[in-house]
Amino acid sequence: MKKPIVFTSEHEMPPMAVSLADMGHNRTGSWRYLRPVYSEKLAPCKNACPVGNDIPRILSLVSQGRYEDAWRLFRETSPLPGVCGRVCYHPCESFCNRKDFDEALSIAAIERFVADACFDLEDRIPERPKRSEKIAIVGSGPAGLACAYFLAKDGYAVTVFEGASQPGGMLRLGIPPYRLPRAVLDREIELIARWGVEFRTNTRVGQDISLEKLWEQHNAVFIATGAHQSRALNIPGEEFALTGLEFLKAVNAGKTIALGKRVLIIGGGNTAMDCARTALRLGAHPIVVYRRTREEMPAIAEEIEEAEHEGTQFEFLAAPVAIRKLNGKLEVQCIRMKLGEPDASGRRRPVPIPSSDFIMYTDTVLKAVGEEPDLAFLSEHLETSEGIVIERAQGMLERAGIFIGGDAQTGPSTVAQAMRSGKEVAQKIKSFLRGERPPKATTLEEAVRVNFNYFTHRPRVATPQLAVSERILSFAETKRAISAEQARVEASRCFSCGVCNSCDNCWVFCPDAAIARINGHYEINYDFCKGCGVCAEECPRSVISLVEEEL
Amino acid sequence: MRNFTLPERELMGSGHLGCQGCGGALAMRYALKALGEKTIVVIPACCWTIIAGPFPYTSLKVPVLHTAFETAAVAASGVRAALDIQGDTETTVLAWAGDGGTFDIGLQSLSGAAERNENIIYICYDNEAYMNTGIQRSGATPFLAWTTTTPEKTPKSEPKKDIMAIMVAHRIPYAATATVAYPDDFIRKVQKAKSIYGTKFLHVLAPCPPGWKAPSEWAIKLSRLAVQTRVFPLYEVENGERYTLNEPKDDTALPVSEYLKLQGRFSHLTEKDIQAIQDLIDKRWQRLLRQVRESA
Ligand SMILES: Cc1cc2nc3c(=O)[nH]c(=O)nc-3n(C[C@H](O)[C@H](O)[C@H](O)COP(=O)(O)OP(=O)(O)OC[C@H]3O[C@@H](n4cnc5c(N)ncnc54)[C@H](O)[C@@H]3O)c2cc1C
Ligand SMILES: Cc1ncc(C[n+]2csc(CCOP(=O)(O)OP(=O)(O)O)c2C)c(N)n1
Ligand code: SF4
Ligand code: SF4
Ligand SMILES: [Mg+2]
Repeated sequence: MKKPIVFTSEHEMPPMAVSLADMGHNRTGSWRYLRPVYSEKLAPCKNACPVGNDIPRILSLVSQGRYEDAWRLFRETSPLPGVCGRVCYHPCESFCNRKDFDEALSIAAIERFVADACFDLEDRIPERPKRSEKIAIVGSGPAGLACAYFLAKDGYAVTVFEGASQPGGMLRLGIPPYRLPRAVLDREIELIARWGVEFRTNTRVGQDISLEKLWEQHNAVFIATGAHQSRALNIPGEEFALTGLEFLKAVNAGKTIALGKRVLIIGGGNTAMDCARTALRLGAHPIVVYRRTREEMPAIAEEIEEAEHEGTQFEFLAAPVAIRKLNGKLEVQCIRMKLGEPDASGRRRPVPIPSSDFIMYTDTVLKAVGEEPDLAFLSEHLETSEGIVIERAQGMLERAGIFIGGDAQTGPSTVAQAMRSGKEVAQKIKSFLRGERPPKATTLEEAVRVNFNYFTHRPRVATPQLAVSERILSFAETKRAISAEQARVEASRCFSCGVCNSCDNCWVFCPDAAIARINGHYEINYDFCKGCGVCAEECPRSVISLVEEEL
Repeated sequence: MRNFTLPERELMGSGHLGCQGCGGALAMRYALKALGEKTIVVIPACCWTIIAGPFPYTSLKVPVLHTAFETAAVAASGVRAALDIQGDTETTVLAWAGDGGTFDIGLQSLSGAAERNENIIYICYDNEAYMNTGIQRSGATPFLAWTTTTPEKTPKSEPKKDIMAIMVAHRIPYAATATVAYPDDFIRKVQKAKSIYGTKFLHVLAPCPPGWKAPSEWAIKLSRLAVQTRVFPLYEVENGERYTLNEPKDDTALPVSEYLKLQGRFSHLTEKDIQAIQDLIDKRWQRLLRQVRESA
């Protein structure tokens, strides 16, 4: 610490007014009442990502061409980046701060690119203590897979029981390969198995093995059986209609289905859209019959657009009232609807218009009016309220050690939500086995303010697509990957909200030269920082907070 | 993201006496980064007399000569002559004066030096009033601004003096404007000035949070807004005739109210006042564009 110069007599002073020392003795830090501190914030994209992918950091790695590091970072939070990069509805992009500047980052396309670029890589599996506790997971959809991955990483012995002949849940049974090639799914499941997860396929719990038995043989059981029970139309002649989900499952399993030329699909959700697009690929002409209008369709906009683009016809404000069979053809009697008052979901309720019946002729009817969980095998352990399973203490069912999650708990949701649920259950199981309270979830506390002045407008990358004429000839993936160069350029559009990327602004703008740069990070010298707040204001991404000094 | 590239070397030390968020202090930091160690700074009476530190201290790691209020340019000329006699042509002499010391009391000595084409760099850090003595108006104070000598009821009735036009009329080899929110532009201009023989003049807008009655954290934001609203366009003029416009580049300027509304010194303005200021700015901007066009 520098000391002030003290002259005890005139003779000690220099002959003229000349400086003898710098101002280092003058601790201007004492002027400060606001203290700038580096405190990284949660980016809105990461906050919105159900699995909590560390998007700003990942994008920063991609922008530097460090694809392997990016892939490994994905795998810290998610075992299915190749799957999510293709079929996740990317809520991250909806919350991206960049959308208020020009366009949101194309995060999903980059996730897919990274997974594809690292297709042959393996996780580095460290030596870790084997734990004695055994965990059974029922169902191998995204919820079960995520739970298995995170438990196995911690050394637990995990066995997944799956009724179908191969693991993957809806990813394999429901989602068609033109959106999710099976090689991608197979590879990511293979990597999960590498962590020691055992898959027992063709084993339906409640049929091939009882839940009771599972519970006895394991320390914890996770029910992740999804929502596979199709809702009924409850109209005369329903027996002439096929179930949309069963149709998809059959086609996805490689079975041949004779559809005929015209296919009526009843419903407006994602299952309906995949039924239409699959029917197209089998050479049929699909017509989606939906009782409200396009705006109220529960399918996500992109799926509706793709279905339409490929040639699906839509019949809005129509509902079937009866199905009849006539000379091998089907006759569907429909009624016109109009929109009335909003219902509980906030969408306007469809109301039939009296005597507006009309007939639609078709070869096949597929009903896709929603799915629900079939939890009959669980009945004695379960309490539900309006179809939603009520959890007991610490997320368990009536019986200690039985957990439920994914679509089985919530009804039809999304891949990423199911994964979040599986991940949370993994945490709950760990806490349960260790006799601890489960940790609290983190949420966005402080909004990340971006200083747009430091950025220039740049367009979002466009995802290349197969031409429609090519698409409808096969089940080949419709979206193509962006190139490495495109991924790098796109990733460099990221603002890196709340995460320091060593841009130097704080160092550049400090009027007191009180910030030091040390190997890409910064240190504030509080002996001299006056607390002007310039660094916090000019940080493009809200990494610096100003906190009140204690007096 | 646009990243700045600043020379590493720090020739302005911490512990100086600039206020929180002082634009003038940051300007000095940039200028010395651009010029390097072989620099002698000549400072007349102004805030920087104080910021540099009292006897026997200095916050700069280069020699400083403190001089009288009206003498920055002539004292610098003397230092230059002394160096030349010693055969030292390498060292840069930097006259560093406030707006009062440049636009007002120091104008005659500056004009003399420019007319003789003295080989010095003269940087006026303009905080738009006599800040050191308590915010009195200067010839650089903007139209209708409050200062302690132009109180709210009778704010400054004259527009800001056009110091750049005065210096350009001397046909000096290089004159430029710069401000602290644009460090790359700032450093480039100082380095360009260093590479040219003769009198070089830089007019630097230096936000003063206490004098402008604005929060200290907005120092850079105000500097940037001054440019974005065309209140303070960044441009250079070579040999009194070649004009180059640097910023703002885009055709769409922010309205001047965006700049004014952040500062207490303008809080008394009416809609009409703001329009009058806007008209003034638009007129100057059109003139600047004409000058750029005509010299192309
Ligand atoms: C056609 C279709 C397309 C979709 N497209 C998308 C999309 O693009 N993006 C998106 O985010 N979401 C999509 N979804 C939703 C998404 O697939 C589900 O929300 C998600 O798969 C739910 O995961 P889960 O693990 O909870 O259940 P599931 O994926 O349904 O997996 C449950 C598994 O449990 C097995 N199982 C059931 N009962 C038993 C039992 N008793 N014993 C043993 N095993 C059993 C089932 O065979 C199944 O494998 C789609 C859904 C459908 C139907
Ligand atoms: C001849 C003379 N008159 C008045 C003063 C008092 N004085 C010292 S600094 C100053 C104001 C300087 O204003 P400016 O040049 O704008 O610099 P700032 O303090 O604003 O940085 C005045 C009036 C003086 N030192 N010498
Ligand atoms: S700009 Fe980057 S960090 Fe910010 S929300 Fe978008 S993807 Fe996330
Ligand atoms: S810019 Fe410098 S002085 Fe101002 S708050 Fe930040 S570190 Fe402190
Ligand atoms: Mg001044």
